[in-house]
Amino acid sequence: MDNKINRSEHILNSLDGLQKAMAPHFFYTRLIGRMQNEQPGKKSNLALRPVFLTISLSVVLLLNIFVLARMNNQADTKRTIPSGDAATIQSFANAYNLNTESVYE
Amino acid sequence: MTEQELIYGLRNGEEFAFRELVNLFQDRVFNTALGLLQHTADAEDIAQEVFIQVYRSVNSFKEEASLSTWVYRITVTKSLDHLRSKKRKKRFGFVSSLFGADNKPVYDPAEFVHPGVQLDRKEDAAILFSLIEQLPENQRIAFILNKVEELSYREIAGILNSTESAVDSLLQRARQNLRKKINELPP
Repeated sequence: MDNKINRSEHILNSLDGLQKAMAPHFFYTRLIGRMQNEQPGKKSNLALRPVFLTISLSVVLLLNIFVLARMNNQADTKRTIPSGDAATIQSFANAYNLNTESVYE
Repeated sequence: MTEQELIYGLRNGEEFAFRELVNLFQDRVFNTALGLLQHTADAEDIAQEVFIQVYRSVNSFKEEASLSTWVYRITVTKSLDHLRSKKRKKRFGFVSSLFGADNKPVYDPAEFVHPGVQLDRKEDAAILFSLIEQLPENQRIAFILNKVEELSYREIAGILNSTESAVDSLLQRARQNLRKKINELPP
């Protein structure tokens, strides 16, 4: 028990007498160099950010799915033309003499 | 140069004032960042960011607190932001390795020993630093500022926008938590 308490106090007090770390040499020179490279207003390329890439890829993917689903729906409706519509097309053809037979008459 | 003159010079974009500011605070900023980040290269990087931030936003400094309190506050905020982003990167390590700008793996040193620790205490200090990392944010900040940067309760209260009694209680809880964690360690 005493050993345990001793150990915990040793570890807890291990930072006593700690000497403060000093900034590395040429810190100011490097800082000025960085400031000259980082001009204010110059932003990192948004298009190369991972978040932007992931979002744009997801949007493109969703658009693809949406368009494919719509195309499938349209194909289905074309295949099943109601009889009423067929009659309308036929009467239109008759009115303007567009029946294929008329060409060979 | 007084603090007022320094601020005035910084606001006027004088290089001499900026050099003076860096000379005055570089070791304090670096030591604080090193204590919180436990990584020398990251600490230097953050220290540079702190001075860039000070230079850019000195006009918005309202002088309600002292310049040193303001600089410490920026250091703590920047260090914590860096730690959070590091954690995020670790969590999404796979994605960042695919899309990261530099494709560098997130480096996480196994054990940190502060360069100012006395030789015979290095082992214990390494254990303590690894446990400090597990403390709640406010307790961690208070403990580092008190033990590593040797700031008074009053100064810490100023940095944390808190009271001295709150800092005292934070430090007590930090010590309790650390003691508990040390006791849970294998012998």
